[in-house]
Amino acid sequence: MTFIITEPCIGVCDTACVDVCPVDCIHFDVDEKDAGQKMKEMKAADPNVDLEKLQLFIDPEECIDCAACEPECPVEAIFPEDEVPDVWKDFIKMNYEAFGQEAP
Amino acid sequence: MSNKKKKTAGKPQVTISPKDYKGKVNPDWCVGCGDFGVLNAFQKACSELGLPSHKILVVSGIGCSSNFPGFFNSYGMHTLHGRPLPVATGAKLANHELTVIVTAGDGDGYGIGGNHFTHTARRNIDLTYLVMNNQIYGLTTGQISPTSRMGMKTKSTPYGSVELPVNPLTLAIMGGATFVARAYSSEGSYFVNLIKQAIQHKGFSFIDIFSPCVTYNHENTHTFFKQRIKHLEDEGHDPTDWKTACEKAMIWGDEIYTGLFLQNTERRTLEQLEPILDKGGPLAHRSLGLTEAQSSKIIEKLM
Ligand SMILES: Cc1ncc(C[n+]2csc(CCOP(=O)(O)OP(=O)(O)O)c2C)c(N)n1
Ligand code: SF4
Ligand code: SF4
Ligand code: SF4
Ligand SMILES: [Mg+2]
Repeated sequence: MTFIITEPCIGVCDTACVDVCPVDCIHFDVDEKDAGQKMKEMKAADPNVDLEKLQLFIDPEECIDCAACEPECPVEAIFPEDEVPDVWKDFIKMNYEAFGQEAP
Repeated sequence: MSNKKKKTAGKPQVTISPKDYKGKVNPDWCVGCGDFGVLNAFQKACSELGLPSHKILVVSGIGCSSNFPGFFNSYGMHTLHGRPLPVATGAKLANHELTVIVTAGDGDGYGIGGNHFTHTARRNIDLTYLVMNNQIYGLTTGQISPTSRMGMKTKSTPYGSVELPVNPLTLAIMGGATFVARAYSSEGSYFVNLIKQAIQHKGFSFIDIFSPCVTYNHENTHTFFKQRIKHLEDEGHDPTDWKTACEKAMIWGDEIYTGLFLQNTERRTLEQLEPILDKGGPLAHRSLGLTEAQSSKIIEKLM
């Protein structure tokens, strides 16, 4: 299993989840596996940076299902994989594919 | 079991997915508890070793960490506080073809069960002992444990603990364990590899695992370990050198080592030395050699 970040994160990218993840598996730059640091730097450099289409992703292979991120998210974007609301089911696939992994 | 073939570049072919080991019950640990990392790494290790659920037995004591077998899909036993090692020893002797894993907490394993620890180590029985060490009694809501720091303030020590903590690694090394390691629950593949090595080791294998209690131990947190953990391998440590292993195990400060401290592949295991187990397969599969009347008589006498 894994946790999945869904639509409400888009454009918000608050990174509160990143700070509590014990295995640093929540990324903005999925290739560099930046643990959200690049998003933080972008925001620090320009607080008004355009985040319109951006969001963070959880690496399904590394997530340990500890649920620490879920209550931290100010926009309730994070769900356990099997509780993702129907309207955001696409995000499961997107999340896996972001890391080149096959969605179940 | 789905037995899916998974293709992941560069990794060995996995035939049983980590998800196949998911138990019927979801863990009830607090969000962020280190024990999630242990369960996850253990599932990955079993998957990478291709161990089918019906060949694994997980035995635990009592504690948050000891709820482990309930969350893992295999044979399991949730025993008495401090007693998983003797129960597992019995199970292993009865069926030495099973992979027997023992999961415990620091209170369970080093406190009330401390005596069993040294005796199981010196017997060198082929068990894998995973102790989730959070330096506190979690389940009973935050009292000092045998690994709590001297001076640590808890519910049971409002003025600070006045006891010296035990060092589980030197205890295991001196006790005669043939595989002694330390890990941190969030170390991903490094931790998975240690568990795999421990399971593959023939003899008593022990991993002391820092598994932070996010609710009752506000000193030994994830951040505390992330800032301090160093890998023994990077120091070129030789796991046959028990003296250096003890020295490295005693280091506790800005640097704390994880990795394989000691391994002895020469000593034979209890099962190998026990003449009864020499031929004829596991005891559990052998005929008792009693008639039904004789066995009923024994059962009657015992009831
Ligand atoms: C014989 C006995 N004594 C005391 C208890 C109460 N008790 C339950 S769990 C526990 C300590 C648990 O600490 P630990 O083993 O470190 O596990 P954790 O909850 O921290 O994972 C104690 C003292 C008990 N259940 N049985
Ligand atoms: S998931 Fe929530 S907490 Fe995490 S970055 Fe997105 S909006 Fe922020
Ligand atoms: S569930 Fe835990 S491990 Fe997974 S992304 Fe959230 S905080 Fe990280
Ligand atoms: S009390 Fe501590 S050890 Fe128990 S589940 Fe919560 S965080 Fe984990
Ligand atoms: Mg404990």
